[in-house]
Amino acid sequence: MIPRFSLARPGSLEEAFADFDRSGGDAAYLAGGTELLQVMKMGLGQFGTLIDLKGIAELRGIARLVSGVLRIGATTTHREIERSAIVAGHTPGLASVEARIANVRVRNTGTLGGNLAFAEPHSDPATFLLACSASVVLAGPAGRRELGIADFVLGPLFTAREPNEIVVEVLVPAAAPDEGRAYDRIAFFERPAASIAVRLKVADGSISTATVAVGSLTETPIVVAEAGALLGGAPIHGVGFDMAVSAAAVALGGVDAVADLNGSADFKRHLAGVLLRRATGAAMLEAIGNA
Amino acid sequence: MKRITTRPAPPAPIGESVPRRDGPAKVTGSATYTVDVGLPGMAHAQVLRSPYPHAQIRSIDTRAARLHPGVIAVVTADDLPDVNLIYGHAVADHPLIATGKVRFVGEPVVGIVAEDRVTAAEAVQLVTVDYEPLPFVTSVDVALTGDAPVIHDAPGEQRSHRGFEEDIERAHPNVCSHARQAWGDIDAAFEGAHLVLEGEYRYPMCYAYAMEPYTAVATWNEGALTVWSSAQHPYMVRADLAQCFGLPLGAVRVQVPYVGGGYGSKSYTKIEPLTAALALRAGRPVRLALTVEEAILTTRGDAATVRLRSAFDAHGHLLGREGTILLDTGAYAENSPLVGRKAANRLGGPYRIPALRVDCSTVYTNTAPASSFRGFGAPQVTLAGESQMDEAAERLGLDPLEIRRRNVLDPGERPWPKARGIDADLKADLELAAEALGWSEPLQAGHGRAICLSASDAGSEPITTALLRVHADGSVTVMAGSTEIGQGSSTVLPQIAAGEMGVPLDRVHLLQSDTGSVSYDRSTGASRTTTLMGLAIQAAARDARAQLVAWADEAIATDGEEVVEEPGGVRVGRRSYDWGAIVRAWFSADAGEVIGRGYLRRSGATAEMPPFWEIGCVGVEVRVDEETGEIDVVRLVTVGDVGAAINPQLVESQDIGAAMMGLGMATREELIYDNGSLLNGNLFDYRVPRTTDLPELRTVVVERGDGVGVYGAKGGGEGSLNPVAAAIANATYRAAGIRLREAPFTPERVWQALRERDAGR
Amino acid sequence: MHEAVEVRLTVNDETRALRIEPRETLADVLRDRLSLTGTKVSCDAQVCGACTVLVDGLAVSSCTFLAADADGRSVRTVEGLASGGRLSPVQQAFIDYAAFQCGFCTPGMLMAATAILEEHPRPTREQVVRGLEGNLCRCTGYDPIIVAVLAAAVSDGSDGEAGS
Repeated sequence: MIPRFSLARPGSLEEAFADFDRSGGDAAYLAGGTELLQVMKMGLGQFGTLIDLKGIAELRGIARLVSGVLRIGATTTHREIERSAIVAGHTPGLASVEARIANVRVRNTGTLGGNLAFAEPHSDPATFLLACSASVVLAGPAGRRELGIADFVLGPLFTAREPNEIVVEVLVPAAAPDEGRAYDRIAFFERPAASIAVRLKVADGSISTATVAVGSLTETPIVVAEAGALLGGAPIHGVGFDMAVSAAAVALGGVDAVADLNGSADFKRHLAGVLLRRATGAAMLEAIGNA
Repeated sequence: MKRITTRPAPPAPIGESVPRRDGPAKVTGSATYTVDVGLPGMAHAQVLRSPYPHAQIRSIDTRAARLHPGVIAVVTADDLPDVNLIYGHAVADHPLIATGKVRFVGEPVVGIVAEDRVTAAEAVQLVTVDYEPLPFVTSVDVALTGDAPVIHDAPGEQRSHRGFEEDIERAHPNVCSHARQAWGDIDAAFEGAHLVLEGEYRYPMCYAYAMEPYTAVATWNEGALTVWSSAQHPYMVRADLAQCFGLPLGAVRVQVPYVGGGYGSKSYTKIEPLTAALALRAGRPVRLALTVEEAILTTRGDAATVRLRSAFDAHGHLLGREGTILLDTGAYAENSPLVGRKAANRLGGPYRIPALRVDCSTVYTNTAPASSFRGFGAPQVTLAGESQMDEAAERLGLDPLEIRRRNVLDPGERPWPKARGIDADLKADLELAAEALGWSEPLQAGHGRAICLSASDAGSEPITTALLRVHADGSVTVMAGSTEIGQGSSTVLPQIAAGEMGVPLDRVHLLQSDTGSVSYDRSTGASRTTTLMGLAIQAAARDARAQLVAWADEAIATDGEEVVEEPGGVRVGRRSYDWGAIVRAWFSADAGEVIGRGYLRRSGATAEMPPFWEIGCVGVEVRVDEETGEIDVVRLVTVGDVGAAINPQLVESQDIGAAMMGLGMATREELIYDNGSLLNGNLFDYRVPRTTDLPELRTVVVERGDGVGVYGAKGGGEGSLNPVAAAIANATYRAAGIRLREAPFTPERVWQALRERDAGR
Repeated sequence: MHEAVEVRLTVNDETRALRIEPRETLADVLRDRLSLTGTKVSCDAQVCGACTVLVDGLAVSSCTFLAADADGRSVRTVEGLASGGRLSPVQQAFIDYAAFQCGFCTPGMLMAATAILEEHPRPTREQVVRGLEGNLCRCTGYDPIIVAVLAAAVSDGSDGEAGS
């Protein structure tokens, strides 16, 4: 059962900050509730007031900005992102990430902002957006700030967000013409055992640059620079490609994976290596298709 | 579904896949489960549970909780001096609320009753318990060491199940019970063997996950107790409640509405005594509805370590089997002593074995209590036995099907002296499985196939009664103590009654699972209901018809006229009279009824034990993903050898459900304890099968009329689960050359085995 | 202390004004205030799908959905599937194909299936399998459920019989 709380339904960010202030800090912001309400049910968090953000227009909507950046309002549901034509045209990989989160009911209700703010270590969007160099815009009574995913997600269930700050939107840079962004995950239970996001550019028959982000192995998603570096310069097919991918997978061996119900650290790194090959292939197809 | 029938046709609607009676209620949401039962003035309970695996309770401070607005009662063991706190049908070792110490994380310590659940939950937070932690043990191996903490200072009273056989002494204070099955000269068997195989096999702690968690509603009226419960065995629960509260059986009424899944996990007493105790102190009706996390901590399945040696001659004939089984029964005995007895009986499998010796101990650990769960020892031991059959086949150069053909019991052959002869044609079942699986067809690279068997001494006890009433309008009411747990008793039992009385099915109604208004049935479990309650209903129908024939003779026939029974009534001279007409004639009014009684016990056809053998015959084809370690079951075959399928569609449904349950335990399910606490007692970290796990199915239902039940029926519902883990293990060996002996065969375990294989090459 | 909220819920086409505690989930309100006990709570953690209801046509876990969040929205439960005394095609198909046993998952399964069929009137088997992946059943092994949903799709309801 959810413990007792008061509900505030502000119509603007200013009202929301005022509600938070009035609660003396004994409050939490509520979007879809799929994470927050669950935590409260489990007795792991108690708040006197929940401040419902779903009535604040500024937090909604998906748009492609003039700059080419994809702007996703924090209270946009996973389902809306999955089905958005704008997202499909800008970063189709994000639509397929969103389509694989949890189950259909969580996708219908849960929001991207809520997911990132909760910072569950196995978060699919956080892993993918990390590889895409996406950022999060926070608003507080004192103003706004923009943080890259790596600077926002600081630890398990722990972000840079001050308690009274609100995630306003997520900004995803435009893909270059010869760029591909792909994600793959494997799950044996509700949450993924391992996941990989690859963002790469192709030029003259080889991978020019690559970023590899690993999710679900460590307490937050991380970029493994060495893996990305080893993919850089690889030909896009043949023995050279296979060797580069294998080398990059070996580089994942340095990830300090957490052993858990999914398996040992070794096994999880192995799974990440398998996913790396699949995601690299998918990213390359997208890059070649776009170029 | 492929249906093979060689038995004579029974009267309709027996043998027809009539639509389920509970369909309209269940698809419209109007079916009542215990959590839907509400009484005027009903209050709500929550339970404070132990955070320690083993601890003395020094003191409990409930003052703040008692003062919380909306709280009606706060109950600890000290508040129940008028209640016998200890229950346990096999071994009486289980207090309904912790007394003096706690033995597992999750054990109930304090019960709180309040106007609503959230208030009760708030009050739970206000209770302070002072514990003195004790050393604890969560593995059987450690529990049996010399300096292991002793979980029960004194053994519980041995009740219905004698936990120690013959002169076997309790080897260690943490041994809860012991069972032995033995025959023949086991030493000679191994001395003379051409091939001896030896192995250790492990089967996990599992959670049945009945989607309806345990729920009970209790109310007291003038010293009589009424309880609604999600229980499979209302009469067993009644007995425990009567014993706890010092009441005659007739003063306790247990009613069971629709049950949202049981699978054995709702067999016997669970939260009913606690709920009744809370209602007693509260002076109000009380509902206690557990969450899934609490349900996991209430009952789980027995984990098993099986050490097995099998001896074969040069032609693959089994000469002997010797094994030891250790079952982890958790903190309390519950029904594990009987699971242990059955595990020992079932390690021989469906085979002719000249000599056998099996010792099975159930061992206490500081973990959630284990009790009945579908399969009941058979899944655990079948993994060992059927793995060794395939291993032997390989060593001796035999086809795995052939080695089984050479060893399966023939129809009528006794597995051990005094046991009922096998009432199945196992060779024929094997052939059906082979055909459905495509045994002789070419196999894709990376794929493997296996067919595995089990034979379980099922049916529990043939102790049951039934009443069958024919009303003045000729319609029928059947009264049967069986519960509707999803298996379809609410459809099958009326079908039997309708067939036996020659009355249309829509003129037959069933009253069930209410100890106050329906006569005694021992239990709904051990796959016994169709067979044994069916026999009781058949007997009740026979009794009703005999009375009606006599009534017709008395009230309708004139001197010299003969009364001849025909379907649905009698013929007197040239006139036909249906049952209703006879009732009206006898009472000389449009009123009255006849009451037919059926009794069943160990006599006549049901003298021999077991009442029937439940056969498991399952085939799988698997593909091993060598990159991820995942075992993909691509085809699944079940053979439901049920003697007579009263409702074939329901037999098939049970087989599919059982096999899928087995698939989950074989590949993914395992409760894991770490430092005394359950790591994954929730559905995020314990994964049961989903739609995406469903393989291609081929189901066979075979009816040879060879069972003791009506028209040759036998039980089903567990058989198709029992061999699944073994089949997946054997098929995986054929696919990838790795021998898996520890279920579940998780991706990690498979991957490690693949690496060892490759390192050895 | 914690103020009540006023909500207007339209449940199975009937609009009700209710005064509720903010903590009450949609499942709480449906079951305890509106006596619509067809919706069941099992895992209470959004995993099993037993509590599935449709809010504005979208499947949600009513165990973790605040009733306050359904304010002004349209909610459909298992009690709202039949109309004019006739079962919906998928309800009828569940009966015809014995796509249930204990029935505890059934209301949620029916709502999930209804949402799938409203989006994909002629789904492939794969679409049904994927669409129901988030709804657990312990009794049936799923096959009869998938068959029933596919049969309901073929039946257009006007003849009252599920096709095969």
